[in-house]
Amino acid sequence: MTGTIATRLLTSLLVVIGSSMLVFVIMFVLPGDPVLQMLDGNATTPEAIEQMRQQLGLDQPFYVQFMQYFLQLLQGDFGASRIDSTPVLPKILAHVPATLALTAVSAAVSVLVGTILGVLSAIHRNGIIDLTARFVGLFGISMPTFWTGILLLLLFSIHLGLFPIAGSDGWKTLVLPGITLGLVGAGFIVRMVRNTMLEVISEPFIVTLRSKGLTERVVMYKHALRNALIPALTMMGVMVGELLSGTVVVETVFARQGIGRILADAIMSKDMPVVQGVVFFTAIIYVLVNLLVDVSYSFVDPRIRRSQ
Amino acid sequence: MKIERSNKWINHTALSLMTAALLAGCGSNQVQSPNPSAPADQTAASAGNEQGGELTYALATSPDTLDAGASGFAVSHRVFRNIFDSLVFQAKEGTFQPWLASSWTKSEDGKEYTFKLRTDVTFQDGTPFNAAAVKANFDHIFAAGRGQSRSLLGTFSSAEVVDEHTIKIILSEPFEPLLAGLGSGFLGISSPKAFEQYGDQYGKHPVGTGPFKFVSWTENDQIVLEKNPDYKWGPPGADNKGPSQLDKITFKIIPEEATRIGSVQSGQVLVAETVPPQLITALNNDPNIAVDQSITNGTAFSLYINTKNEPWNEIKARQAVQLAVDVDTIVQTLYLGTYERAWSALTPGILGYDSSLENKVKPDIAKANQLLDELGWKQGGDGIREKDGQKLILRYLDGSPNREKRNDIAAIVQQQLKQIGVQVNLNITKDTNTPITNGEYDIFGNSQVKADPDILRNLLRSDKVFTKGGTNWSNVADPEIDELLDQGASESDPQKRKEIYAQIQQYMIDRAIILPIYVFPYTVAHSKKVEGLKFDLLGYPLLYDVTIRK
Repeated sequence: MTGTIATRLLTSLLVVIGSSMLVFVIMFVLPGDPVLQMLDGNATTPEAIEQMRQQLGLDQPFYVQFMQYFLQLLQGDFGASRIDSTPVLPKILAHVPATLALTAVSAAVSVLVGTILGVLSAIHRNGIIDLTARFVGLFGISMPTFWTGILLLLLFSIHLGLFPIAGSDGWKTLVLPGITLGLVGAGFIVRMVRNTMLEVISEPFIVTLRSKGLTERVVMYKHALRNALIPALTMMGVMVGELLSGTVVVETVFARQGIGRILADAIMSKDMPVVQGVVFFTAIIYVLVNLLVDVSYSFVDPRIRRSQ
Repeated sequence: MKIERSNKWINHTALSLMTAALLAGCGSNQVQSPNPSAPADQTAASAGNEQGGELTYALATSPDTLDAGASGFAVSHRVFRNIFDSLVFQAKEGTFQPWLASSWTKSEDGKEYTFKLRTDVTFQDGTPFNAAAVKANFDHIFAAGRGQSRSLLGTFSSAEVVDEHTIKIILSEPFEPLLAGLGSGFLGISSPKAFEQYGDQYGKHPVGTGPFKFVSWTENDQIVLEKNPDYKWGPPGADNKGPSQLDKITFKIIPEEATRIGSVQSGQVLVAETVPPQLITALNNDPNIAVDQSITNGTAFSLYINTKNEPWNEIKARQAVQLAVDVDTIVQTLYLGTYERAWSALTPGILGYDSSLENKVKPDIAKANQLLDELGWKQGGDGIREKDGQKLILRYLDGSPNREKRNDIAAIVQQQLKQIGVQVNLNITKDTNTPITNGEYDIFGNSQVKADPDILRNLLRSDKVFTKGGTNWSNVADPEIDELLDQGASESDPQKRKEIYAQIQQYMIDRAIILPIYVFPYTVAHSKKVEGLKFDLLGYPLLYDVTIRK
């Protein structure tokens, strides 16, 4: 078990390094001159532009720039933003909690809503509950988050005045963004759980359990659900990536702080150090969550535990 | 079979019911007033009378820095105008009045300005305000200044401390717009001690002499200012002279339009800026909300034709474009009568605006076609004109994101020019500087905010091309215009200045160098509890006189 986790940690490290490299390359080949972007319409002399380029080391060839970046990163130096010259690490650390809170709440919404509706939907197949559940699933998957977000804002914040519209102070500001983003995940999980539940229910061991005289409740919630959860768990791991990327839009709509928003701003202004820093952090979060998911398999399914 | 069908029916009904419920929830809100029991008042006023309270102000974008000398953005100005005072105050009618400077004199040759400073002013950090402090600000601007501050100082050459409360500004050439520049928030005076204390992070810790002190800036979230209790040097334009009636101002950064406007409708913020035209009518019908518009002065949003690139270096080709673009339709369609149509490069509120240009150019497709025919551009098979195997193409460069629907203007111009056989290739990009540097554009739209007609110098003088620090998008290079611009900058008789700038504005229209499109109104929606909200000559909000009615 420890061996597996160690190997997983090592591969995770490679994933983090690989994604940093990839982003560095993409940002490098993107059109647009970072120095001119920094000036943002404030015209200046060609000499000043050249001087700025030298200061930032942007006159160096690609591999030199990359090595410099990488060596600094190894020393824990993420550099400073090219736009406001604040150091990247504290900037990201200040925004990470808000994004983590949003991701956690929306993951919780996804899992709770997704699993409950998925199970109910499978048990009451083709009934009104099933239809409602499927509608929620379809809604979650197909509605763009900015639209869901604005609808929820109009109804619950502006019309009913129940929640604050904007900001990231206190739990109340998490409710609507959490639901907005959580519905996307819930949509996927509902479908996933429903389908696997239906599959599991039709398997022979369910018939055996029923014939043993177990109540329908025990059959469904103890035996069938447990078997149906494995694919849903895998889904969770992938979904955290979805949710993290979804924060970009949701944070903008709800005017929340967060790394999604700094990432969007940084990409727009080609603020390389910030982009790199955010990608690095996001990759770490993503990798850690997937590691957790893998470990949790063995708790849900004893066969996996034994095979290790 | 039967069961399945009924299920389908339920499915559909459920779907449409839920959609209807959702749509009703948001639809009705557009017309109705917001729920008065919304948790509005908690932010509004904490005190019982008109004294005190927190003003919450929703901004659409975030300032880049609060170092007045380093920013070029209007949004930064809206925030730091509350923190910094200026040497002089420019009234709405354009005249100058004392502020931090109690009086001033100009030398005969117009190259030296001597300012007597107030003696009773201190910075928010306790540093005394004096001539050395003012000089330190000029040093700061020329050491680290980006943004607008340097261009506002024009021909500034040095500043000299005459005595503790007298400072002399020496210019290399007479520069009439100097006072307008000194009145701008971009030349607001900072504490020299704070420059030293915070170094390159000063933009996150601004200290001035203004009615509000900086408290905190949470990135992408909010900027908080609090009342400066020692303030007693309010500008001449304000009713108040002592400390502000407000305890606190919180600027919230809310980029999403619907969210920003929604937060003022629900009473969660008291003021929200940049109201989209389609919502102005709805908000005007709301009994709790008032919409204020203020013209931003400077140059109108205009399309500048690059006179360097073929075939647009020919005046007839440019005139054809000028005659084929129906500006009234554009402005009416996109802004629904909430923006004023522009006729000149300058906005109506600025000294020297030439009103004789109004209604001078009218769309005339026949004439436009005739001009292109004369130039030998023949109608091609696909409706696009051709000459010597070349298609008639206009490369239209525009910035992204779609600020004030400028990208939509581009789309309409594209349609309108198709009528005369011109193919418009749109290039909408975040980075407009690269194509401009390379000259890869035939038309480019821009507007600027400034209080003096000398703004035209940066747009037209032959040495003010983009690669040399100017904004001469049209690449105009005409010695006569250069001469006129220099005269305008150094002429001290306002009447003569007006005549000079009228000539220049006519030149721009007669030679079809620009197509003026609209004058941008800065629009805010605010709760009717907010009183005393004013705007300066440039359209920037003044929050010093604001009170919040309980």
